[in-house]
Amino acid sequence: MLNKNSKRKLNKILLYVVLITITVVMLVPFLWMVSASLKFDKDVFTVPIKWIPENPKWNNYKVIWTKIPLMKFVLNTSKITLIVTVLQLLTSSFAAYAFAKLRFKSKNALFLGYIATIAVPWQVYMVPQFIMMRSIGLNDTHLAIICLQAFSAFGVFMMRQFYQGVPDSLCEAARIDGMSEYKIYTKIMLPLSKPALSTLTIFTFVATWNDFLGPSIYLTTESKKTLQIGLRMFIGQYSSEYGLIMAASVISLIPVLIVFLCLQKYFVEGVAATGIKG
Amino acid sequence: MAYDHMKNRELSLQEAEEKQKKLNELNAKMKQLQERLMTEFNTWGLDSKKDKDKIKEKDKLLREMQKTQRTIEKLKTGKLLSRDAKRSLVAYSFIAPNFIGFAIFTLLPVIFAFILAFMSWDGNNPIQFVGLANFKRLAEDTRFLAAIKNTIVYCIATVPFTLAAALGLAILLNKKIKGRAIFRAIGFFPYVASLIAVATVWNNLFSPGAGLVNVMLTNLGVAKQNLPGWAADADWAMFTVVAFSVWKSMGYYMVIYLAGLQGISGELYEAASLDGANALQKFRNITWPQLKPTTFFVIIMLTINCFKVYDQVYMITQGGPGTSTLVLVYHIYQTAFVTSSDYGYASAISMVLFALVLLVTVVQFRGEKNYAND
Amino acid sequence: MRKGKKVISLVLSCALVLTMFTGCGTKKNNSKEETKQEDVATDTTTDSATDTTDSTAEKTKIRWAVWDVAATTYYQPVIDAYVAKNPNVEIELVDLGSQDYMTALATQLAGNDTNLDVVTVKDIPGYTNLVSKNVLEKVDTSALDLSVYGGITEQIEINDQIYALPYRSDFWVVFYNKDIFDAAGVDYPTNDMTFEQYDDLARQVTKTDLGNEVYGAHYHTWRSAVQLFGILDGKSSIIDGNYDFLKPYYEMVLNEQKDGVCQDYATLKTSSLHYSGAFAQGNVAMMNMGSWFIPTLIEKIKIGEYTELSNWGLVKYPHAEGVEPGSTLATITSLAVTSASKNKEIATDFMNFVCGAEGAEIIASTGTFPAIKTDSVVDAISGMEGFPTDANSAEALRTANTYLEMPVYDKSAEIEVVLNDGHDYIMTETMTIDEGIAYMNKEIDKIINK
Repeated sequence: MLNKNSKRKLNKILLYVVLITITVVMLVPFLWMVSASLKFDKDVFTVPIKWIPENPKWNNYKVIWTKIPLMKFVLNTSKITLIVTVLQLLTSSFAAYAFAKLRFKSKNALFLGYIATIAVPWQVYMVPQFIMMRSIGLNDTHLAIICLQAFSAFGVFMMRQFYQGVPDSLCEAARIDGMSEYKIYTKIMLPLSKPALSTLTIFTFVATWNDFLGPSIYLTTESKKTLQIGLRMFIGQYSSEYGLIMAASVISLIPVLIVFLCLQKYFVEGVAATGIKG
Repeated sequence: MAYDHMKNRELSLQEAEEKQKKLNELNAKMKQLQERLMTEFNTWGLDSKKDKDKIKEKDKLLREMQKTQRTIEKLKTGKLLSRDAKRSLVAYSFIAPNFIGFAIFTLLPVIFAFILAFMSWDGNNPIQFVGLANFKRLAEDTRFLAAIKNTIVYCIATVPFTLAAALGLAILLNKKIKGRAIFRAIGFFPYVASLIAVATVWNNLFSPGAGLVNVMLTNLGVAKQNLPGWAADADWAMFTVVAFSVWKSMGYYMVIYLAGLQGISGELYEAASLDGANALQKFRNITWPQLKPTTFFVIIMLTINCFKVYDQVYMITQGGPGTSTLVLVYHIYQTAFVTSSDYGYASAISMVLFALVLLVTVVQFRGEKNYAND
Repeated sequence: MRKGKKVISLVLSCALVLTMFTGCGTKKNNSKEETKQEDVATDTTTDSATDTTDSTAEKTKIRWAVWDVAATTYYQPVIDAYVAKNPNVEIELVDLGSQDYMTALATQLAGNDTNLDVVTVKDIPGYTNLVSKNVLEKVDTSALDLSVYGGITEQIEINDQIYALPYRSDFWVVFYNKDIFDAAGVDYPTNDMTFEQYDDLARQVTKTDLGNEVYGAHYHTWRSAVQLFGILDGKSSIIDGNYDFLKPYYEMVLNEQKDGVCQDYATLKTSSLHYSGAFAQGNVAMMNMGSWFIPTLIEKIKIGEYTELSNWGLVKYPHAEGVEPGSTLATITSLAVTSASKNKEIATDFMNFVCGAEGAEIIASTGTFPAIKTDSVVDAISGMEGFPTDANSAEALRTANTYLEMPVYDKSAEIEVVLNDGHDYIMTETMTIDEGIAYMNKEIDKIINK
């Protein structure tokens, strides 16, 4: 019989073996990307794969900044992404509170309306939406993309689900104490929803950062374009230059990973840390 | 309100008396109801399963109390805005900032698209009403029939695998282990990486000729003629797309589950440990029930996203070989922008998609309602 | 409240529908006015230049929808030349990206209101589609000499009218790697080859040694690369619903694939290997591709990127037994003025300039084939530095008959999708050749008889 300690050790080793296997599966494509970004185009597909190129072509990372206005694209994308994320967080957590914790007329109908739109593919209403945006003068503006992304049904839905998990008794108690709903939202709900908010931040950030079709329809002036359009344009024009394409992809990935790493610590300080029973 | 006051003054004495009588009646009823509530339902800890009927009864009682209270207030003050209406107003003020933007930029175009399903429109020429003609066409459209079959197959294959992988990964990465942040980032990585880049990589790894996967299979002793052709093989193409989708999106749902897991109090697990529960029992009796709102969300989003799959297919197989991975949204896209500009017909197809999603959502909602009655 | 919401949403959506209707209504009026305007315009075209110089206060901006601005060398020279002649006009390039170009364009033009004045029409299905939407202006051909286009304009007529002017016209040739033929001691391909001779040649230079393969032929994954061999006899058509004539060509290519003469379609498709990458690896002897590859090839060899490839040549497409050599496929790119443009006269003037003789010369000077293919244009390209010096390569640029990759037909886009599926089925060997052809016959018959 194993004693408790060695059993625990064995478990731990097993856990790490599983984790490392998963990591390898997850990371192979990333390694391939990085390795391809340092190769000459003709070497990208050689068999068997050479993971570490003999003379890494660091130049790829220099060249892409000059081939397309990458800096401008990064700035545009950052601006749009930041505004969208802030708006999304504010408005959808606000609305979600009402959907989760307040009683009001036609609540279910409104909520179904939100979910229903998630189920309709964008390709179907893209043209009417474009005509409408153009008629109010938003064609070829960053504002169009912001309006498109900031009021998504997804954010409301997600936040509602998290608030639903917060016990009603908390709000009831506050109401009895005479707190207004706005106060309950800011003083009780917001602090509790850190994990949910950081999740939404990451999702909104990633979705806006990687959005391609929306900007490509609305933004036609070169100086207003975003990183993903730039990446696509780049692939369209240099479709055989895999080294450069992969270098550009790696660069586009870095900001998102940074945001993720910064926010993921909030996943551990949530409702549980404040000591409220679930 | 001024009008009401005037009206009040005009009330004859008789009417006033009647009013007072009614008020007294109502007050008495209210008192009775309150007493019932105190005596019959004074326990807060009702179990959702065992006391289902009792909870329903309690809700009924509460509703009746509210109604009575409302009538009393109306009679007393003659005010138009009841407390209830005020509460609704507060709620609307919460929803408004998001809803206004949402209604203008999303809901309106979506409603328009729905109307289009009964129209014929190419984006420029006048819209014509065609009734159900677009829907009649669906039955004869071989590509549509192939697409609907492929979409359902894709969903059935993708949803359970993604769900299981995401939950498993989340539980694993919620443990206190060294380098947890890094592991989480790695798990999330396929989702954040640009689709263009990872699809290219994936296609090369699964290349039928000399891709890493087939090279490995050859080394394991698989005969050359038995090697799967993956994305270029009608028998394996759907599998390749599903595998890619699971791999790409499991990190996303893992993050949702991770956030959900934070909502579970550690005390619950401690108590269970004291009772001598093993890991499986803890999962079944604590983790899984506590994660219900999260799972509800994950399943709905996952189902909707699966029904709406487009990018993955576009990047991996372009719907091929032939129509073997053609999915609904791909067909919608082709109808609207490639083969024709038939927005009416494209809308009709999306109505079918919508109906499918609605079906799944309503079933899920039923499930959630039962849970939410706790 | 719930009722109220419903009512509101209904009213709003009705309003949206109404605006669209009225949008279309005004469009109709417009088109009537247009015809009037056009009459005036034709009278005043000669003075229009002076007219615009008078009103120098503001420059007229013409927005031109294109793709791949950075990789295309002739946009800027053409614009510079035009603006030099018309200083009051400013041309702005609007890059809609190459991959979703037609989608983005259709959206921009939707609802009969756009800020685009001149649009590039990428392919024939796209052209047919835009014409059916009534978003392109008819080209006033009264003052134009269409004979310079060598019959292309006749092929894009719809009800005796054309709605776009071609400015680029590419055709397909066979690129070959001279070093491979030298090493194998086999004679170079010629401008007069039958398909049997071509197949034979490909097999002679093929080597199947593992790790050192040499492929006699290379077919890019597009259906055009195989299917359109079939229409070069001038008798078969890609839109008439019967595809039995494709059988010999599929047999040839599939046999080559089986024997390792060409690379496996499935592999090429999944790895999305670009044709230029395939040819640049130096182990492909012959590759059929469009003439647009010529400037790229010259440029890449010049800057030293293609280290495995230096010695290449061109020959005409192979031909079926008993058919005159020199028949090939044409891919045309054209310009059109939008109906919703607010500066139609200037836009038309610009279109005529780019598609006319002056534009053609400028485009040719960058190594791209303009739609007007005079002898001097062909000489200019074959005289470029880096172009193969043998006589056959220069001769290969002179074509006998050119057939459009896809003819003008209102169902061409739908047919194209089925043809792509059929090609995919046959080339991945999901279906046999007979099954694949039967599939195309059946599905396309349905489309034609709808």
